[in-house]
Amino acid sequence: MSAVFRAARGGLGGRKLQAVIIGLVVLAATAASTLALGMLADAHSPFDHAFASQHGADVAVTADTTKASAAQLSGAARAHGVTAAAGPFATESVTAQLTIPGLNGTITTPLNLVGRSSPGGPVDQLTLQSGHWATSDSQIVLSSTAPGQVGSTVTIGKQVLTVAGVANSVTNTADAWVLPAEMSAIAGPGGTGQAQLLYRFSASATSTDIAGDVGAVTAALPAGAVLGTVSYLDVRQSEQSSVAPWVPFIIAFGVIALVISVLIVVNVVGGAVVAGTTRIGVLKSIGFTPAQVAAAYVLLVAVPAVTGAVAGAVCGNLLAAPLYRENAQVYQVGVLGVPFWVDLAVPLAVLALTVVAAVGPASRAGAMSAVQAIATGRAPKPRHGFLAQRALARLTSVPRAVTLGFASPAARPGRTLVTVTAVLFGAAAVTFGVGLATSLNRAYGEIQAAAMPVQVSALPPGLAGGQQAPGGQGKHIKNGKLKVIVGPGARLTAAQRRAITTAISAQPGTLHSVTEATDHLSLPGLSGGHGGAQLTAYGGGDPSWTGLGLISGTWYSQSPGVREIDVNTLFLTDTNTKVGDTYTLANGGHKVTVKIVGEVFQPGNDVNVFLSPSTLSAIDPPAGGVARYDVSLKPGVSPDAYAAGLGAALGDNYDLSTQSGGAKELLAVVALVTMLTLLIVAVAGLGVLNTVALQIRERAHDIGVFKALGMTPRQTLTMIACSVAITGLVAGIIAVPAGVLLHHNVIPAMTHAANSGYPSALISVYSVPEMIGLALAGLLIAVAGALAPASWAARSRTAAALRTE
Amino acid sequence: MDTVVHLENVTKRYDGAAAPAVADVSLRVEPGEAVAIMGPSGSGKSTLLNLIAGMDRPTSGAVRVGDERVDMLSEAGAARFRRRQVGMIFQFFNLLDDMTVIDNVLLPAQLAGVRAREARQRAEELLTALRIAHRRDAYPARLSGGERQRVAIARALANRPALLLADEPTGAVDSATGDEIGRLLLELNAAGQTLIVVTHSPELARRYARRVVHIADGRVASDTVTGARS
Repeated sequence: MSAVFRAARGGLGGRKLQAVIIGLVVLAATAASTLALGMLADAHSPFDHAFASQHGADVAVTADTTKASAAQLSGAARAHGVTAAAGPFATESVTAQLTIPGLNGTITTPLNLVGRSSPGGPVDQLTLQSGHWATSDSQIVLSSTAPGQVGSTVTIGKQVLTVAGVANSVTNTADAWVLPAEMSAIAGPGGTGQAQLLYRFSASATSTDIAGDVGAVTAALPAGAVLGTVSYLDVRQSEQSSVAPWVPFIIAFGVIALVISVLIVVNVVGGAVVAGTTRIGVLKSIGFTPAQVAAAYVLLVAVPAVTGAVAGAVCGNLLAAPLYRENAQVYQVGVLGVPFWVDLAVPLAVLALTVVAAVGPASRAGAMSAVQAIATGRAPKPRHGFLAQRALARLTSVPRAVTLGFASPAARPGRTLVTVTAVLFGAAAVTFGVGLATSLNRAYGEIQAAAMPVQVSALPPGLAGGQQAPGGQGKHIKNGKLKVIVGPGARLTAAQRRAITTAISAQPGTLHSVTEATDHLSLPGLSGGHGGAQLTAYGGGDPSWTGLGLISGTWYSQSPGVREIDVNTLFLTDTNTKVGDTYTLANGGHKVTVKIVGEVFQPGNDVNVFLSPSTLSAIDPPAGGVARYDVSLKPGVSPDAYAAGLGAALGDNYDLSTQSGGAKELLAVVALVTMLTLLIVAVAGLGVLNTVALQIRERAHDIGVFKALGMTPRQTLTMIACSVAITGLVAGIIAVPAGVLLHHNVIPAMTHAANSGYPSALISVYSVPEMIGLALAGLLIAVAGALAPASWAARSRTAAALRTE
Repeated sequence: MDTVVHLENVTKRYDGAAAPAVADVSLRVEPGEAVAIMGPSGSGKSTLLNLIAGMDRPTSGAVRVGDERVDMLSEAGAARFRRRQVGMIFQFFNLLDDMTVIDNVLLPAQLAGVRAREARQRAEELLTALRIAHRRDAYPARLSGGERQRVAIARALANRPALLLADEPTGAVDSATGDEIGRLLLELNAAGQTLIVVTHSPELARRYARRVVHIADGRVASDTVTGARS
């Protein structure tokens, strides 16, 4: 065996370029595949991690305590299939007034309140994000999804409580918790009338399992006692990882990288064996058996492949790190990473593929007779391409170096086909990546209403710049920063509106402006997991000026008597409605029946409703009016400069903000797309480099003859570049429709993963001139891959080349 | 015309080699001369030829062919020089196996940018003169050793070079064919072609060259005008 290792090591020393190429190709394939599989595993992984670590509730039951006694409620824990239970906890939906330290005014917010003595327990262990659990009756702990922070004051009826801590329930079982005694004080003598029961079951993987579990608990309780249930599956679906929308495109890149790498490894390994045929003959002549020869060549490939696989797994983890970090923060489960089984399985799979690719040609080499191997290796005769050579020689108006190059691919049709395919995939990745980046840019622009980058509102007296007045319902952003969306009560006065509209009209660079007011309501038919719906009323102009993308339908009418709304896909899914249906908005005593006239592109886990100011006023009168103005600018006008000018015109009592137009997240994803595209292009280029290097090696003597006959270095370079040009051009032409097709399949998959449909603007991203340019990508990849070996061949000494046999 | 080839204290040492392949060689070849360079294997004969053709560069010394200082040329310059001034004939023919006879002969002219019609006319003339016109569309694998060498000679003469260099031109053929090749070279020289032939065969040198330069261990051991040719 040591002889085999020595033979493999010796072979490696003489084939450094091939060893490097194999290593790099395997590295790229492993990195891309690790990233893809890791992201796929992570689609639900953060929630699953958190659910497992917090012993999340498979089902949360709200029971009527007037129909079931405490003993009966506790007894339900013995229902069939229950493995753990918590509760009963007194629960009640209340309306609270919330203040935030440092800000004037209060926020009115609905809260689902639960009385619990501690955050721990057999089910639904709460994790404290800040502060501590309530230690007295005057304290309250808020959920991370509720407005407020440690130190806030929450007034519920006559009870004034201080927020002691902020906690997270993985299935959002409550908006806030108080001690049981405080719950009684809030509820009054009659009690809350409701209790929360939390269960874990032995079988809960599917909705069928859950339905059976709920049935068992319902049967264990008196009839009519169960008021409502929430399954963890519904929460899981709505809380799916923020990386889920990215999974389709990462998988697409991963598959492309794998395919290219397999092709190139086959090419490289086959070429390494062909190039080493003489050596094989020598090994056999000194006594190596066929199996030993084959083993030596498999080892020769395996050594750089192992290095590449290990390095690739590390690179894949590094590429995935930024995406995982975000999830870890959201779900408070520490730093997540690529699952260990992915780090093990992917390199092993890629290695296995490499070895399989090597076994074929290595076995053929092993089976060769020693004499045949030496004879073949000394002067490999061309067996193909004669017709092409002859036909192209007739093109006397074309420089001879060019026709010599064009004829070259025909000499090794099998290798040419593999190279074309590898370049094709690389060029398809470029086409796909360019389209994807464009779609993502448009998507972010449409989601963020980036067409109106300037927002103008007024500051109530006493507020510092950047803060907005509380006075309505609000929602914290999950990154921990305090931001209050202006709601009912914080509206501009008539004088302020006049001042703003006058200033906007007078400011150079103004294109359009609309008014905006927002609200947050619980609406009928929405599952509890979304925390209600975000309502946005654009008025005083065409809502289409905001740049928000319409997937279908039209924008709502601004006419006061017309009741129309536009909604996002999640609204339609949740309420089981479609564009054209009517829907009744209900809020307290107000009910308004509206027609759904359009579906807006707003992916994600929030339900969005867009409506006219008059419709908003009808459903929630305090929310009427104008909170701010949004302004779109003429082309070429800088938002920051415009905002500075408008701010100077309005004075200190007004707040202006601008959108950058490109979220950090967009930049990170586009950077990832670019990195993956370049990785694949590099791999394809390496494939071409190997093919050309092999070609040059096989034709080194012929190149020497050409040079002896007077071929200059430039002609040599031209000849070699032309030998890959046709290959690259053909690959590029086929790659464009392939890349476009991939794009047209991946974008819908991505938007679907983000709970949304997609507007046509996300698909129609390729222009004809762009596609023509992209068709040249294959040519560029091919020529770039050929340049290094071609330059070497051009510079080599004629006498040295002639000595090569 | 002045001296065709002038080597002045030319030395060629390869990296790592203990002894130079060519050591301090000085040599002149006049127009129309037929010179045989003889010596045992490894004596530096082929290296000398490569240096004259500009296919390799000396470690020191000067190589002149006509007015050209060949050792100072770049790779591109050396290639252009070879197109114009030098025709090479190799022991193992060095024909391109995937090209027909006519395409092999056309190659130097095509690389030099000679007009297609002119190049083809010259190629046909050469093939006829060398009695292989009937094989113009054949591939080298189908030719005998003698035929291949005649194709190689035709290719070497395509651009009417001032100097014909032949490295063991009969080394890969049988003696009868070798005689035939030798006679061809004689005819060319008789027509005024300057010829330098590398050979290890005294018989060949005696029959086809007027001057024999013996090389041993990279040095000129002797330089004799024999005058005798048959």
